[in-house]
Amino acid sequence: MAYFADRQYFDDPEAIKRGTEFSEGKLILDWYEIETDRVRCTPSDPRRGLTYEDCSKGTYSWDLLPEFVRHNYSMAARGSVLVPGLPDMGYTENRKSDIWADNIGELYEESKSRRWAPAVDVDWKALAATDFDPAVTASMCQLCTTLSEVSLVAMEFPSRWVYAINQEFLELKSLLCAQMMDQARAVEVFRKRALSSGGLKRASANVQQALKELLMADNYIEGSIGINLLVGSLLLGVYRVAATASTIDAHLFRRCQQDAARLVAYGMGNLAYHLAHREGRQEVLNEYLDSVEHCFAGIAGATEMLEPLIVIGGGGTEPGQVASGRARVASIYRVVVDEYLGRLATAGLERRDRSRLPAFFAAA
Amino acid sequence: MSYLATSHFLDDNEFVDKYLYSMRTGELDLSWMDASTKDVHCTSANERRGLTFRDLDVDGYGFSDLPEVVRENRCYAPRGAEIPDGVPDMQASVNRSSDVWAYNVEGYVEEAMSRQWDATTDIPWAELQEAELPEEIGKAYAQLLTFLTEVEMIATDVPAKWMGQVNADFIEVKNFIALQAMDEARHAEIFRKRALSTGYGLMRASVQNEHNLKFLRDAETFSEASVTLHLQAEGNVLTMFRFSEYISPTDADKRMFRLVMQDEARHVGYGMQHLKWLMKHNPECRETLHAHLEEAENFLFGSIFANEVFEPFVILSGKGLKKENIDKGLVITGMFQMRQTEEYFERLDKCGLTDRRERSRLHEVYEMTKQGLAAQGAI
Amino acid sequence: MKVDFPSASFFEALNDRMAQEQDRFTRLGYFDTTFGVTVVGPGERRRNYLLNFEVYECMGAREIDNLEGEDPDFVLEADIAQWQDMLRNIQSNGGADTDHGINTLTHFGEGMKVIYDDPERHDKLFRFSESIQEYFDLAADLKIEYAS
Repeated sequence: MAYFADRQYFDDPEAIKRGTEFSEGKLILDWYEIETDRVRCTPSDPRRGLTYEDCSKGTYSWDLLPEFVRHNYSMAARGSVLVPGLPDMGYTENRKSDIWADNIGELYEESKSRRWAPAVDVDWKALAATDFDPAVTASMCQLCTTLSEVSLVAMEFPSRWVYAINQEFLELKSLLCAQMMDQARAVEVFRKRALSSGGLKRASANVQQALKELLMADNYIEGSIGINLLVGSLLLGVYRVAATASTIDAHLFRRCQQDAARLVAYGMGNLAYHLAHREGRQEVLNEYLDSVEHCFAGIAGATEMLEPLIVIGGGGTEPGQVASGRARVASIYRVVVDEYLGRLATAGLERRDRSRLPAFFAAA
Repeated sequence: MSYLATSHFLDDNEFVDKYLYSMRTGELDLSWMDASTKDVHCTSANERRGLTFRDLDVDGYGFSDLPEVVRENRCYAPRGAEIPDGVPDMQASVNRSSDVWAYNVEGYVEEAMSRQWDATTDIPWAELQEAELPEEIGKAYAQLLTFLTEVEMIATDVPAKWMGQVNADFIEVKNFIALQAMDEARHAEIFRKRALSTGYGLMRASVQNEHNLKFLRDAETFSEASVTLHLQAEGNVLTMFRFSEYISPTDADKRMFRLVMQDEARHVGYGMQHLKWLMKHNPECRETLHAHLEEAENFLFGSIFANEVFEPFVILSGKGLKKENIDKGLVITGMFQMRQTEEYFERLDKCGLTDRRERSRLHEVYEMTKQGLAAQGAI
Repeated sequence: MKVDFPSASFFEALNDRMAQEQDRFTRLGYFDTTFGVTVVGPGERRRNYLLNFEVYECMGAREIDNLEGEDPDFVLEADIAQWQDMLRNIQSNGGADTDHGINTLTHFGEGMKVIYDDPERHDKLFRFSESIQEYFDLAADLKIEYAS
């Protein structure tokens, strides 16, 4: 796996000669003669600063990215002059329609702008002083244990692909890094939320099995739909229930919701771009979702996810509270499935008559 | 299909029946309430800092109790949770603490989260719009920025490549990796944006430099990757940022370098603290590291061929292309290179790799150059 | 000074407060959405408001006859009693409690509906949820005259 230089430079007379010449002031300056597109990008809206979109100009524009990137396998910045001898970094994601989305620039800028820090942006002192039903406290600890597992996988998904993506797609790679950070923040805040009020509870075999199937998707677009759209849509619903536990939790989970919504938005953008540029992919992706949508049920229906949501949603374990919690969770699961299928349809993948999820969640 | 869950949940009658039963009757299992985990109530030691990872370092969950070899957790469970039967194996290949851990990693994670900044809004771009750079300075600066844009994303790809390999029990390290990836993405962003706002655009890619980047990425172990990426390469880049701040053409550019510098210093800090930890807990890897550093130093020496990196420095520090500018620039650049090498060996010393100096051919060159400069009265 | 609810002046008052609290909203980040608010009064009389947020501020709030032609990202619609209940709760707590937050009202009751055509634009409700809630929470110290 190790990579070596093409020679031992310490023994290379050419290198020593070059060093001597350099110290004597003999510069080569061949780079000085090259001419590239002389752009001067400026903020289109000063309040917003200089965005990536402002910099997508001239020969540097992302609009010029070809469907097949064949000309550059190195780390050279897009638009710079490529010279012979650049290494092949071994990228395997070189096809634009597999990975791109039209909202990448917007989402990357948004993720930086809407950053937050769990250590200080959650009122931990007030949370400690909040009077919770003991069952709700335990449920929040369980829910945060489960959400830690989900977030860890959501953090690993972009990391699995980012180094395989051609450097020409810089803005996408940057968005994936932002997603890694967003999900690291989720891992952090759920751990802190649990350990501040009783500790972690039980990991979930079902949740993890389902997540691993989605994480290990054979190709990027399938993984993207699975993690960003399927899991992301579920998270948006779960956070809505969790936010009802207390006003502090409302702040906490709204922040998590914002981050998850960007996952979903990119997933939609990625799918829409893919389908708009590739014929005949609907059926392939529908078949993929036929095979993995059971994972959604596996996560949502896992005891370690479902039961704490019911207790939190109802405010306790008394029969009336459980009844109310069940109604809330049943309702939110139906909404979430409806929203998920709606997102797919908007992106160009209609499967409302095909998915088994609506029937499964309607049965409850 | 590379992995299939052990159950197809929609076809698993036991799973479906249990779900429907719970939802229809309200009879919940609730066995998770009795999970065999520690009951803890962590609070902030310092309220101004908020609730930190260090505050969570308590019995049953803490990083202080991490064993050298993690044997119990092979899945995605958070450290300290009860792990039931049937969880999958996440296929982590990095399961030894000494392979990834660093003194104060929990502090670096908190610092990284709290000191995030935004290249889009934290630089006075409007002010930069007004700055007209003379042709010689503008082109040299654009070439320097091209080089910096080129190098930054490798420090995203390297940590990302290791993320899935690192055992979930090392969550503080995994979070650090995620945050480093974001830091580096932001650096690539800001250098690209600055290059494209100078009025000159991007210039030429660097062949010599890119082979070095590939070497950094393709290290065989996390520790080798860390010692060359965090400590050597980012250490060198940190010195370069300090130097770049010094030669920056405008105050806004100086601010830009100060912001990237603080991120880079954090990564170097992690690299040093990891190497220290490694030297203490797994000293037998010393020889492997020496071998890896030998090649890293070979690449570094070969960077003399990267004239598109060094020549802009000469022009920027001498402030022009005339002979007197070049002469001045060469002296300053020479001092910068000396400082870079000196700091590299100092860092290795500090981490316990003190014998690197005597084994290193780069150090030989450094000593010779130093003596030569002293004889000329340059230092 | 008292402001009527519902009225454009109510939202203008929120916008003034938002401007006064720029640091708070800047810290929350870009806030880019245009959404509608519909207050359904007695006899199904509807009063519609279009709120346009851009970067960190509200660029405008105006009353309009019909939201359909305005193409908002989504519309929050509730009857006047529900809106009043939410605002009274915000005023008594200094901010909405969990039963009266936009999140709860839109998903766990019949109280408030989210109307949308495009799921992608509907998701802006989630992408900017903290800013949206904090915007309504600015009503905490307004003197509000409720329409009967």
